[in-house]
Amino acid sequence: MSAQRIGTLIRLELTQRVRSVAWYVLLGIFFTVLLAVTLLAFASFGFRPDSGGGVFSVVVFFVLLLAVLVSPTLSGNAINGDRDAATLAPVQVTLATTAEILLAKFLAAWITGLAFVAVSVPFLLWATLAGGLTPAAMAVSLIILIVEIGVIAAIGVGLSGIIGRPLFSVAATYLVVAALVVGTPIAFGLVGATIRTEVTNSYRPIVDVEGDGTTVCGEWQTTTYETPRFDTVWWVLAANPFLILADATPTAFDQNGYPKDLFGQFKLGIRSAQIPPDGDQISDECATNQGRTYPTPRETIASTTPSWFVGLALQLVLSAGLLWWAWARTRTPARRLPPGTRIA
Amino acid sequence: MTTPAGIVANGVRRSFGRVHAVRNVTLEARPGRVTGLVGPNGSGKTTLLLMLSSLLAPDAGEISVGGVDPMADPQGARAILGWMPDALGAWGSLTARETLVVTSRLYGMPQTTASARAVTLLAQVGLTDLADAPAKVLSRGQKQRLGLARALVHDPHVLLLDEPASGLDPQARVDLRTLLRRFAAEGRTVLVSSHVLSELEEVIDDAVFLVAGETVDAGRVAAAAQSARSWRIRVADALPGEAAASVSVALRRDPASVVVDRQDVLVAFATEAEAVAALRALVTAGVAVVEFAPATGSLEHTFLDLGAGPRPSGPPPGPQPGSAPERPETQS
Repeated sequence: MSAQRIGTLIRLELTQRVRSVAWYVLLGIFFTVLLAVTLLAFASFGFRPDSGGGVFSVVVFFVLLLAVLVSPTLSGNAINGDRDAATLAPVQVTLATTAEILLAKFLAAWITGLAFVAVSVPFLLWATLAGGLTPAAMAVSLIILIVEIGVIAAIGVGLSGIIGRPLFSVAATYLVVAALVVGTPIAFGLVGATIRTEVTNSYRPIVDVEGDGTTVCGEWQTTTYETPRFDTVWWVLAANPFLILADATPTAFDQNGYPKDLFGQFKLGIRSAQIPPDGDQISDECATNQGRTYPTPRETIASTTPSWFVGLALQLVLSAGLLWWAWARTRTPARRLPPGTRIA
Repeated sequence: MTTPAGIVANGVRRSFGRVHAVRNVTLEARPGRVTGLVGPNGSGKTTLLLMLSSLLAPDAGEISVGGVDPMADPQGARAILGWMPDALGAWGSLTARETLVVTSRLYGMPQTTASARAVTLLAQVGLTDLADAPAKVLSRGQKQRLGLARALVHDPHVLLLDEPASGLDPQARVDLRTLLRRFAAEGRTVLVSSHVLSELEEVIDDAVFLVAGETVDAGRVAAAAQSARSWRIRVADALPGEAAASVSVALRRDPASVVVDRQDVLVAFATEAEAVAALRALVTAGVAVVEFAPATGSLEHTFLDLGAGPRPSGPPPGPQPGSAPERPETQS
């Protein structure tokens, strides 16, 4: 590993990127959309003095959404695109090793993705100045956002080294990213709905109230029905980039125990799924103490298990595995070539 | 500068799936000499050069480039070899100067050395005026020259050039020839493949013929070089028909064996001695000969003859004088 060669290769990648006009157009469009999103977020949080945390979470989620939508096209043809343009072999024949080339491509794709974060900085500052944002939430959510952009970059660069045709590797990158973003909620919903358990609901009504105020209780009525067991499949959501971001970020609560930002609301959603349904539900109108107390969101979150590190670890293993596979496929002197490709 | 060894390949074989690109290549390119790699399309020249340049692993056989085995020590081989691919791969948005600086940096040169090296090389390949133009505006020939400069950034001992002359204008071809001769004179090893056989003939010391993925052994090459060869005869102030008639009468040949090619006449002679005798006969007979020369270069003649001959199998075939089919109007 030579820092000089890796630095040269990263600069080479980025120079080619910054000299394309389309790139600035894309960033300009992103800036405009982000401006609209920020204004709408302020409006929806009612311009309250402590709405900064909420707006901040919306902007961070939006940057991640854009990274998910755009990064595969930026990184998904890193290796095979160069091979098609006949610019890969002239680099491979220099002293740059395959590992250095892959690492440089990955870092360059990551830095490119971070340009979207850079464009969002004014909006993040704006949200911060609005108040109500805790430093911990700010730091953790930004770190997770940066790591997630790196994961997507690694998946794209990895697949571009594994698959021969640029078109297919970009499509495959989109599919893998979509599997994480959209596929996990679908799997969660479908599998959770097929696993059902029977719930017994016992109910005793008050049939009459006598003159002295004593109540006449009716017969117990028992009904059974099936309820989906999302608590058995909640872990599927652990690998979702948006939920990793939400689950990892420390939540700020209001005085009623409700989360103040979008991260907290997402977190409450996935944490609630961990709680198994009550198998015996009793509602007794004759019971003296009618009011059942439900846990507040704060208590729910406190009583359930965080899963973001498991999901993040899974993503990091996937990224590292794909990069390693790409390394094995791109190594020179090449023994096997991806089908339908020429080395030069 | 002296190099301990040039390029040695022994029994090299490489296939892609069921396609046997290189079946059996044994060659030696010596330091201080320019060796030509000649063969038809699809004969495995590019695959062979990829193996020599450490990018492709052979299925079998041994390779040594400048005394280094590129399989065992690819980094070591890359440090001493310069490879110019046949595909023109240039970073479109980088300038010619930046392309050379980036490549130099990838060979570990400091920034200042790399910049100086780029200036030298741009002057050497005649791209100084276009040094700061992006590569995408360069013409095919200019990109080709940039590719050559890129192969030279680290001052390699061994130079592997895949079709370097394609797309070059006449002046650039002369420059390339001068450059290759200078390289050889400095004791370096140069292996160059080309289709432009007349160009190659003027620059190479040795030739390696590649047919269907196999190097042709020296005996067969010698036989092909000596086989019957077509000579071009031009008669002054004569219509082509009249010239053919007077030549066939003077040489006492069947008029069918005397072929008219534009304003010239083509006649096949088995040996140079026979050609000398024929010229004497023509002059004696009073035919106004103004031009009497081989119709094809010797490299081209050998190449064409090898392509037409039987595929070699096992032991080298003996000399086959005169048995090769005649091809009178080869390049008309």
